[in-house]
Amino acid sequence: MTKRTTPSFIRVLWRLARTQPWRYSAAVVLWAAIWTMPIIPGLIIAYFFDELSAGIDPETVTVLVVGTFAYAAGRSVMIFLGMRNHASLLFRAAATMRRNLLVRVYELPGAAAMDETPGEVVSRFRDDVEHIVEPFDITVDLIGAAFAGAVSFAVLWSIDPAITVVVSVPVVIVAIVSNRTGGLVRRYRREARDATEAITGFLGETFFATQAVKVAGAEASMLDRFVQLNGIRRTMMVRDRTLTAVLEAVFRNTVNIGTGLVLLMAAGRLTTTGDFGISIGEFALFVFLIHHVTDASYFVGVFIARAKQGSVSADRLSATMKGEPWDRVYERIELGLDGSPAPLPGAPPEPEAFRSLRVRGLSYRYPGSRNGITDVDLEIAAGEFVVVTGRIGSGKTTLLRTILGLLPADAGTIEWNGTVVDDPARRLVPPAAAYTPQVPKLFSMTLEDNLVLGDERNDQLLNESIYISTMRHDIDAMPEGLGTMVGPRGVRLSGGQIQRSASARMLNRRAQLLVLDDVSSALDVQTEQLLWTRLFNARTDVGALVVSHRHAALTEADRVVVMEGGRVVAVGKADELSESSPEFRSIWEGALGGPSPG
Amino acid sequence: MIPVRAYFRLFSAYLRPHRRRAVLLAVVLVVTIGLQLANPQLIRAFIDGATGGRPVDELVPIALAFMAIALVHQGLLVWATFLAEQIGWSATNRLRADLTDHVLHLDMGYHKGTSPGELIERIDGDVTALSNFFSSMMIKVVGNGVLLAGVLVLLWVESWIVGAAITVFTVLTFLGLFRLHGVTVPWHKAIRATSAEMFGFIGEQVDGTEDIEANGATGFMISRFDAIQRRWLPQVVLGWTGWALMWSASMGLYFLSLMVGFVLGAWLFGIGTLTIGSVYLVFQYIEMAHRPIEEIREQLVDLQKAGASIERVEEMFATSSRIEQRGSTGLGDGPLALTFDHVTFSYDDEAGDEVVLDDVTFDIAPGRVVGLLGRTGSGKSTIARLVTRLYEPQRGEVRVGGAPTWDVDLPELRARVAMVTQDVQLFRATVRDNLTFFDPSVPDERLHEVIHRLELDAWLASLPHGLDTMLESGSSGLSAGQAQLLAFTRVFLRDPGIVVLDEASSRLDPATEALIEQAVDHLLEGRTAILIAHRLATVDRADDIVVLEGGRVLERGERDSLAADPDSVFSGLLRTGMEEVLA
Repeated sequence: MTKRTTPSFIRVLWRLARTQPWRYSAAVVLWAAIWTMPIIPGLIIAYFFDELSAGIDPETVTVLVVGTFAYAAGRSVMIFLGMRNHASLLFRAAATMRRNLLVRVYELPGAAAMDETPGEVVSRFRDDVEHIVEPFDITVDLIGAAFAGAVSFAVLWSIDPAITVVVSVPVVIVAIVSNRTGGLVRRYRREARDATEAITGFLGETFFATQAVKVAGAEASMLDRFVQLNGIRRTMMVRDRTLTAVLEAVFRNTVNIGTGLVLLMAAGRLTTTGDFGISIGEFALFVFLIHHVTDASYFVGVFIARAKQGSVSADRLSATMKGEPWDRVYERIELGLDGSPAPLPGAPPEPEAFRSLRVRGLSYRYPGSRNGITDVDLEIAAGEFVVVTGRIGSGKTTLLRTILGLLPADAGTIEWNGTVVDDPARRLVPPAAAYTPQVPKLFSMTLEDNLVLGDERNDQLLNESIYISTMRHDIDAMPEGLGTMVGPRGVRLSGGQIQRSASARMLNRRAQLLVLDDVSSALDVQTEQLLWTRLFNARTDVGALVVSHRHAALTEADRVVVMEGGRVVAVGKADELSESSPEFRSIWEGALGGPSPG
Repeated sequence: MIPVRAYFRLFSAYLRPHRRRAVLLAVVLVVTIGLQLANPQLIRAFIDGATGGRPVDELVPIALAFMAIALVHQGLLVWATFLAEQIGWSATNRLRADLTDHVLHLDMGYHKGTSPGELIERIDGDVTALSNFFSSMMIKVVGNGVLLAGVLVLLWVESWIVGAAITVFTVLTFLGLFRLHGVTVPWHKAIRATSAEMFGFIGEQVDGTEDIEANGATGFMISRFDAIQRRWLPQVVLGWTGWALMWSASMGLYFLSLMVGFVLGAWLFGIGTLTIGSVYLVFQYIEMAHRPIEEIREQLVDLQKAGASIERVEEMFATSSRIEQRGSTGLGDGPLALTFDHVTFSYDDEAGDEVVLDDVTFDIAPGRVVGLLGRTGSGKSTIARLVTRLYEPQRGEVRVGGAPTWDVDLPELRARVAMVTQDVQLFRATVRDNLTFFDPSVPDERLHEVIHRLELDAWLASLPHGLDTMLESGSSGLSAGQAQLLAFTRVFLRDPGIVVLDEASSRLDPATEALIEQAVDHLLEGRTAILIAHRLATVDRADDIVVLEGGRVLERGERDSLAADPDSVFSGLLRTGMEEVLA
């Protein structure tokens, strides 16, 4: 059950309209015209029938035909304008939401930004946004149809107030019915959406893991699971769609019931001339315009149903914003759609030259888990090479992430040159610090874009970064060199190439503190050592904070930080530690590879 | 055009099991349409009755009948929707399953070039469009089509001139709309392509938040987002303009038929062919003919999308795996021999692509354990991928148990050759499902037994709900090392004849690695194994050594004799200090 975090859906739509006041106003005016104009052919038809009974002459017929033609041409123009304006309006509304969501995703601690699978998050950006745009779209129709309904009502009232009032009764019924069923619609829709999300999530995970699935020969069991999820969704979808059909049937019937009521009340009063009751023309006008009185009620019903569905999506988006006020999703922003690029979030201020980073009492615990780090102290000065080591699950990665603000610290302080950093996620980014995660990700763009990340290209720096990360040879071997498109998730590159590209990416940030999480998984010893040597030859003033259990790194370290169970258990040079720390010794010996053969 | 033929070509096999329900649906639709056609007749009777001076108590039942018919008609329409949705979703679910099955069996080259987000869009997005195709096709297009035909027949009955005129306009409307439809299809295709690109982008972003944020690339990524939006907007506006064109066209033709109604109505009433009630009836039917055209037009919007979807789904089915199931040779039990016979391989078939393995030849006898050494990029991982037949060599042969891999039954091969890679993929599911890949037939006892042998009992006990503990996908939940242990368990669960540990221990820190050494010993017992590692420690238990360099075999032989030979590369490695010098 999603918690209600959004005050009311009407306010969501209001915010959305306020992002584009002119375009929205234009839409309302255009669509009010488009919906109201059909009253004109209604009047023409009524006139025709009344004249027909009286004996119509050819001139009148000609006038009617010409009038009809002019009407059709005029309405076409309105439709054309209305559609184009609408396309832009709805696109911008969706774009605003998506961009605000994306910016928020980037603001959240990088290692804990989303609880959902990538597939599910994509579904938020795609489906939930669409489910909010739909009712937003309908408000325009609703206002237009309501206007048309009011005009129609006035016209009918002028003919026969009694019949007009009775015909309006179904409108009230529709409003009641849709209010009654709102909760059910909401529930069914949510369940259908959840079922869909389970499917997209599962597919996403499966295709992220294709190789593992293939190698395990697990295609069949994965497929069984998929079929099972599909079955659940079918049930939910059929229920949801059938309910929607029931509601639509109710709305549609308001027209038929209305027509029936006109027939009942007109019985005995309908004459060719209308002298004693209503004329055939007036009757025709009634039947024609009931649509317009009831169109509004149709849109009210559809709107109420969609709004309930939309508010489920709005709640989800609010949840995705994680703690930010709900209306930030709908905040008016520059979208940069008109040629001039939109302003981007400001770059952090140039920090003073790196002297030291000092971490005191840093703690972080994964929610609902015993894993994490506790009360960690750590120091690194410019020019130092500090290696964090420890067993699996000892908290090495968590430590790096918490320092960089990729996980929100529960307690502790981080000082940069002796000044406390309140918001490491904003401050410990380039040009202060740069990072290579344990499993780095590259993006679907050229290798150069992946390395430069939109910075002003600096050939010397780029070449140096490539050289240090030992990526030169790989790039030269690629037919398109730096222009090579990196495939989805960079999988066209080998694991080592991705790792080295990510290192080059980090180096190319020209940061003063380099943070690297265990490169040994993808780099062999020699490559790794080459990387360290080249790094310290080229950048003597940087600090490097590195997770490793490799011999090369441990011996070269100015300081080794040994972690166990989320705590720092020993700090010192490798040779001291091999005396004093049993934990370090076991890691060291592990790195040596057991008893020496031969 | 509405891609009806393409649709049924793709879909007939999936609809066949639902024939009986489809017949029922057809019957319900026909009755619905009959009721809809009957109602205007009642109104004519009412008008002619009223103007003809019939008493009120004869007119009231007509009005009541009108309302009753309307109600029943709507009820049946709901039923029809239910039936159509049932059929549509049941049938497309099978299509989804077949498509997923097909895609899962496509070669890794295909998967490298296609992002998971794109595949979701194809398998779920496109197929859901097809599901909607079915229900809207039946209810809106076929239902309205039959209704339209009924209206035209009744108009002909009323007056052949009116019937002929309206028939001509209807045909014109359809021709015009189809024509326009053809014009707008590519517009919508472009929109969908950009949409797929956008959501592929978003998926990548969400997956790479750590990399982006910690390297200060958020601004750059947002500018890329903006760039996609900038390309997308004009496409969307053009798409809506297409709908405006179609709406205007169909409306224009409706009003043309209305004009014809004025002229013919005035004339035929004047000469006494039609009563005033009949003229009204004609107008009602003109209106009634217009609405199905409108609805069919609206459906065209969805069906255009379906046209593009069908194309993509067919394209996907037409993509065949470069790894074909050709042979059916079984492998039998026990350890298997492995042979690389002059194997040459590059990831791209195109000439000029880097050769990853160059004429690699070696033999592994059943039960032998081979340590594979070489620096990054020397082709070690590629060897693992060839053994599991994720790829096939361009030249030469890989033989497992004496049979070329292409000739071995593929499921059998994958069952008998196990591999642990560096990158462990977790599913957002229970630990049990993660271990068994959602195979419910694996009993818990078996899992416990394997976990016990891996000495992971303590880890299992630490999980809040044991095997039922939910894991998160991605990085949260388990550390990379713990995930690696889970991957070991996955392999242990099977009984492979060949085990390939592709840098499997590289992300385990050595202290933990020591913990599972014993278990690995168990695993290797009675099995052929390739151990790929950067550290010599990992190849301690190897009987033979193969050293790769630049895709070629630099050295191979028994470990002991290589170690004893002072001139061997391997003994050089041992002498000069373990891992630090690994060439």
